[in-house]
Amino acid sequence: MARMKFLCDAERCIECNACVTACKNEHQVPWGINRRRVVTLNDGRPGERSISMACMHCTDAPCAAVCPVACFYTTADHVVLHDKDLCIGCGYCFYACPFGAPQYPRVGNFGGRGKMDKCTYCAGGPQQDNSHAEYLQYGSNRLAEGKLPLCAEMCSTKALLAGDGEIIATIYRERVQQRGYGSGAWGWRTAYKEVPQV
Amino acid sequence: MNGRKDGGVAERRGFLRALGLGTAAAAAAVAPAAAQRSDSVPAGQARKESAAERVAARYRETDHVRAFYRTNRY
Repeated sequence: MARMKFLCDAERCIECNACVTACKNEHQVPWGINRRRVVTLNDGRPGERSISMACMHCTDAPCAAVCPVACFYTTADHVVLHDKDLCIGCGYCFYACPFGAPQYPRVGNFGGRGKMDKCTYCAGGPQQDNSHAEYLQYGSNRLAEGKLPLCAEMCSTKALLAGDGEIIATIYRERVQQRGYGSGAWGWRTAYKEVPQV
Repeated sequence: MNGRKDGGVAERRGFLRALGLGTAAAAAAVAPAAAQRSDSVPAGQARKESAAERVAARYRETDHVRAFYRTNRY
């Protein structure tokens, strides 16, 4: 069974923010919410790197672990989705997520946040596939249409990869071999404390 | 003369009344749309999937997806 993953090639990302814009437009994301963001490290200095970040659809998702109403579920494709009709907007998932993926549409009177919104991997939600209700609550369902997330599909430099984890890992490995230097995988040294040998 | 004047006033008021009614009708038509937030849908429109349907795999390796993989190898 395919495992859906995102992988951002930091060597290729040029911080154009087109993925952010495409996502907002495709899903009519409410004001104040960005399901995807481009993060730049060492901005303006040698070694500057940008990376496009959204929900990473974790295998052991911390958002799901802390949710008091169990509104999260993981599909057979390993996409982490949530049910907005169950969400109570408590904000626990926001604090638990290491990537800042969960967002809330409103800050109103008495601190009302509204229902949580996050990247759906363009896979909609628990409403029926490609129905109007699903579009209103979660945005379009490209996965059900036989497509991949729009952010990756329209990336001009092909920095953002999406799809079956095995396949995109192979594509990334080929790129690294062709470049002839380290993997450059963002966060690798933080996670593994060593330079990977490819 | 007087009658014509009164008639003109009535006509003008009629126009204003129609304008007011039109505005109210437009507001009534817009109100349900404005009430629709991105995080909730009217109960009539909600069609939830079953527990098995919601976790079913959606990913398919279509020609579209294969083209994406191929172009990312360049």
